[in-house]
Amino acid sequence: MAFTVRLDGLHKRFGRALVAVENLTVEIGEREFFTFVGPSGCGKTTTLRMIAGLETPTAGRILFDGRDVTALPPQKRDIAMVFQDIALFPYMTVAQNIGYPLRIAGLPRAAIAEKVARVATILGLTDKLDAKPAQLSGGQQQRVAIGRAIAKEPKVLLMDEPLSALDARLRAEMRAEILRLHRELATTIIYVTHDQVEAMTMSTRVAVMDRGRALQIDAPRTIFHEPHNLTVATFIGTPAMNVVPAAIVESAGGLAVELLGHRVAIHPRHSAALHGLKHVEAGIRPQALRLRPPGREGVSGVVFLREPLGLEDEVLVEAAGGARLKAVTASGDAFPEGAAVVLDFALRDLYLFEPDSKAMLCHGVDGAPR
Amino acid sequence: MKETAARWLPLTALFVILAVVVFPFYWMLLSAFTPRAVLFRPPYQLVRVDFSLENFRDLLFATQFLTYVKNSLIAAVGAIVLNVIAATLAGYGLTRFAFRGKKAFAFGTLFSYMFPPMLMAIPLYILFSALKMRNTYTGLILSHMAISLPLNIWIMWQYFQIVPQSLEEAAWVSGASRLRALREVCLPSARAGIMSVAIFAFALSWNDFTFAFILQTDRHMFTVPVGLATFVEQTAIHWGMVMASAVLVSVPTFALVFFLQKYLLSGLSMSAK
Repeated sequence: MAFTVRLDGLHKRFGRALVAVENLTVEIGEREFFTFVGPSGCGKTTTLRMIAGLETPTAGRILFDGRDVTALPPQKRDIAMVFQDIALFPYMTVAQNIGYPLRIAGLPRAAIAEKVARVATILGLTDKLDAKPAQLSGGQQQRVAIGRAIAKEPKVLLMDEPLSALDARLRAEMRAEILRLHRELATTIIYVTHDQVEAMTMSTRVAVMDRGRALQIDAPRTIFHEPHNLTVATFIGTPAMNVVPAAIVESAGGLAVELLGHRVAIHPRHSAALHGLKHVEAGIRPQALRLRPPGREGVSGVVFLREPLGLEDEVLVEAAGGARLKAVTASGDAFPEGAAVVLDFALRDLYLFEPDSKAMLCHGVDGAPR
Repeated sequence: MKETAARWLPLTALFVILAVVVFPFYWMLLSAFTPRAVLFRPPYQLVRVDFSLENFRDLLFATQFLTYVKNSLIAAVGAIVLNVIAATLAGYGLTRFAFRGKKAFAFGTLFSYMFPPMLMAIPLYILFSALKMRNTYTGLILSHMAISLPLNIWIMWQYFQIVPQSLEEAAWVSGASRLRALREVCLPSARAGIMSVAIFAFALSWNDFTFAFILQTDRHMFTVPVGLATFVEQTAIHWGMVMASAVLVSVPTFALVFFLQKYLLSGLSMSAK
């Protein structure tokens, strides 16, 4: 039978004023790699700690497979957790750390040793079993922490920013390792991170959180291509989506959008969504912008800054009126800093957002289906 | 020339300070092993060769010194055990639970440490008289705790703040109960703190004169410091015995600090990790 974790109208308040999590409802399926992502203070860690039983919800329920576990302490939930600060027991060896949940479960010594050996093999720690945590590198410590969690063979594996203590190279390595583990172990993983790249690359589904609310819960690809609102759109994707104010104007063929002195016709099928609006926020991802020589159709501007990244360059273009847009281009193209350029983009890459609620109104203003 | 001076000057200063500190200990040792007949015969020489164990023999077999030591040890061990248990639980509670008046409690604890023992000794005398707890080990141990526990709670409170909460949480999600997590995860990490609590509890109890002098009126219940005072008689001071007992009394103190010092330092570096 499929195992599910269901959060049902979850609320968490600290004191009177601080609302950490607000009305969160989500169902996480068996073997899912589900990620809560958002800036610090968005409530993602609090949510994870409520699932673990380390925090008590102010309101709402947590159900494991339909069974209400809201009032159960962490010891009685079928979970394991990897902590942000790794939290290995400093006085125990690697083997004792990994075997700790098994010892508590009362397994016989031989069974513990066998299981610890198996976990150590999976994580490449076989020759470190007698070491103390302080003798290990950061990546090895993280592996031990993961080992301690998976040794328990929990139904749900919770991970609270497990890679944030590692340097960039190790982080990429461990990301692949965690993904491999997810496939091998076939457990549900609930993951928390502020790093949207981690969220996008590892997860089957992502919940983008902001100020205690889940703004959007979807597959990474959907979140990237069809963000529900401006916050999600600018949070997901590197570099961040360009956002500029735009005006909706009536033209001969129907509605058009005018941004930075450039006018684009809008397909009639979006008319209803834009009805009655004069101003909107327009968003374009840096990858969708192309640099052209002056004289072409598009947004004209001047190359303000060029940051070479190797294969690609990030180019900051200052448009007329002072707005700055970032574009990602092929390395070393013909436009040095100070050169006049025209920014060109495909209409299907343009997103329009409501200026007050920041909700997405439409994307792909040419009306072409994605 | 200048360089040599720069090297010798601190060293000389060190030796001067060392001489001032070490000399009383030297004199204590010397007097303790000097027979009574020689001790009071001028000239009082700095270096002597005629040693004897006479003072120690008198001390151990002609006085109740061993009874005093037994009493002191019982009081000290009791104070150590109770201090460690109470201070550990209190320190843990102060760092891990939120309750009303927590700050006031913590500062009140430290404040109560500032009262001199004498201020408490008189009320305790009256109280323990009423409770028939004078001349008991329980009474003496409790009075010693009144002095040492406040600071020990403070020490453990500080130590548990260093032990990350996530260590315990990791134990909980591994299935350990709160008490088991405290025992297997928290306490080992706070070991250095527990050691300092034990040392402090021992030192205060072992050196206490005020409480023992006022509460223990029965000669069989005297502790070493009070017993030593009886060597000072109206007509004579038994310097040889005083010095011999001073030597014996400082042995456990030296041993404790010497062995636990290493412990303390390694514990400190561990908790900093």
